[in-house]
Amino acid sequence: MKKKLFYISCLIFFIVPVLLMLIKSVTTPWRSGVDLDWTSRGWEVVFQDSRVIESMWTTLLIALAVALINLLAGVPIAKALSHRSFPLKNTLEVILLLPLFLPIMAAAMGLHITMIRMGLANTWLGVTIVHLVPTIPYTIKVLKAGYDRIPQDMLSQGRMLKAGVWQAFRTIELPLLIPSIRSSIFLAVTISAGQYVLTAIIGGGTVLTMPMIYYPFLQSADDTVMAAFSIAFVLIPAAAIIIAEAAAMLVAGRSFMKRRGEV
Amino acid sequence: MKKIFVLLVAIMLAGCNAQSEQEEVDLSSLSWDDITETASGETVRLYMWGGDPGINSYIDDYAAPALKEAYGVTLERVPLDTNEIIQKLETEKRANQDEGTIDLIWMNGENFKRAKEGELLFGPFTEEIPSYQEFYQADDYAYDFGTATEGYEAPWGKVQFVFNYDAARIDNPPSTLDELESWVKENPGKFTYPEASDFTGNAFVRHVMLGEAVEAEELLGEPYAPLEEEQAAAMWDYLNGIEPDLWRSGETYPSSLEELDRLYSQGEVWMTMGYNEARAESLVRDGIFPETTESFVLEDPGSIGNTHFLSIPYNSPNKEAAMAAIDFLLSPEAQLEKLKPDYWGESSPIDIGSLSEEERAGFEELDRGNTVLDAEVLAESYLPEIDAGYVEWIESEWRNEVAAD
Repeated sequence: MKKKLFYISCLIFFIVPVLLMLIKSVTTPWRSGVDLDWTSRGWEVVFQDSRVIESMWTTLLIALAVALINLLAGVPIAKALSHRSFPLKNTLEVILLLPLFLPIMAAAMGLHITMIRMGLANTWLGVTIVHLVPTIPYTIKVLKAGYDRIPQDMLSQGRMLKAGVWQAFRTIELPLLIPSIRSSIFLAVTISAGQYVLTAIIGGGTVLTMPMIYYPFLQSADDTVMAAFSIAFVLIPAAAIIIAEAAAMLVAGRSFMKRRGEV
Repeated sequence: MKKIFVLLVAIMLAGCNAQSEQEEVDLSSLSWDDITETASGETVRLYMWGGDPGINSYIDDYAAPALKEAYGVTLERVPLDTNEIIQKLETEKRANQDEGTIDLIWMNGENFKRAKEGELLFGPFTEEIPSYQEFYQADDYAYDFGTATEGYEAPWGKVQFVFNYDAARIDNPPSTLDELESWVKENPGKFTYPEASDFTGNAFVRHVMLGEAVEAEELLGEPYAPLEEEQAAAMWDYLNGIEPDLWRSGETYPSSLEELDRLYSQGEVWMTMGYNEARAESLVRDGIFPETTESFVLEDPGSIGNTHFLSIPYNSPNKEAAMAAIDFLLSPEAQLEKLKPDYWGESSPIDIGSLSEEERAGFEELDRGNTVLDAEVLAESYLPEIDAGYVEWIESEWRNEVAAD
């Protein structure tokens, strides 16, 4: 019964909308009383701008870099927040979440001046750094939940067996954290790939990501083109996840594979 | 930590050096030949809104190669919303960045006002542009939404406000505001307009203002002055009068033109509207609007039209090349290509009288498509834009007077 419910809701909420979108991208806009016509126009517009492919690569690379920095910064912070106690810990946790409540435009304007002074405006590095603003809070939150599920005893045990910090991390923490790491990569990648305002201001049009080309088309009643762009856009997070999984396999080796089977 | 600090300082210093190398362009000592000579081989980055495939391909497929041939200048189109462009320049100005990335901006109205008042623009430069001198009536472009242009922007295109309707459902479209009112009452739920905070919705309300509250002649070329109370009351009465018979009884309005277009596309409402008298052409061709779509304008009060312009930012790295690009984009050849429905289909601000007979014939004989009204009809109903101050006033008052009750 439960399984049936799962499949039905999957069908209604995920499969049908995606199928509809696929069909929309190759048909003329739907109107009552008018027959549907097949058209390749939506996809022609997507690839009309010769820079679309290039922009997809830029978006993908920036998103992966953002995800990587997120993990490098997020893991130690999450561990500290979860397994150590120090004064004002709760306050610090709230402060780390604050960027999410800041209007993105305010953040962009303030950071832009700093970026100009540091010579990072209009560069992909600047864009990568600024994408940390809306992503790191989520990563910390997700990874902290992951660490909360690892009992302190397990870490102490490793230490008693004389495991170094790195070894303990690789053999105990990392395998247990894999589900959280996977979620935080997914979040960081989709958030980074979807940024328009931050990329526009800091990248200044020089850093051409997919939303730079795609978002202006949302201001029209042209469903065909919008559907085609949306599908093309989905390829970016999908590719990023595949790359991240492959990289994780290389780093974590067989322990990762085994874990994956159990999760 | 110390190393990082040193690195940061080094980067900052490097940034400062780059800024002081900025060359100043003194136009008075340069001839047009000097300018085009410097321009050749350079790249111009044109920042513009990028949501229309027709406009994009006009730039990418026609203008860029043709400009390359004419002046050896490479044209690169960068898609960015005008608001973000101005924002970027304002911040660069505050950070004293004299070497920017933008060479050309496409804008008008409120954005121009903001850019000019913030001293974000290079100029005056239009005096130097040969095709502007030769083919354009400078007097017509002295003001942009009431802001004096003073040579800081060159007219690139011209659009006029039209209503689009489905001729399969409406035989005789209204031609005055009164007729529109009675049409709305006879066909409840089949008309609406975007909110006044939307660019197009605001323009619709301005038409009502010019029809019900004040005579257009009184406002033209005048700075913003608050309306008399009864005048304002007359226009709000009109809008409140039609409200019960609007789409969804006027309880809600489309938040943008895109939403209204969608309603029209689905047959929910029978009229839509917008700047650019030729905009329906590509929408019909692409199957978004019904094939029976046609256009009309209101003879009374008329139809507001405005011009949009090209400007050069104060920190453009290739000002000469930007001027060469403007000269080309304003030329009769490029303007005629822009008028053709294949690409953009937009009207030209060029002075037809200044053209050679052959060129004039090209403009006059061009078929702009079935949905576009005749040039005479458009010219007869033409009204220039009023001061940008009214746009803001309508935005804030409409919410209280019409939407709130």
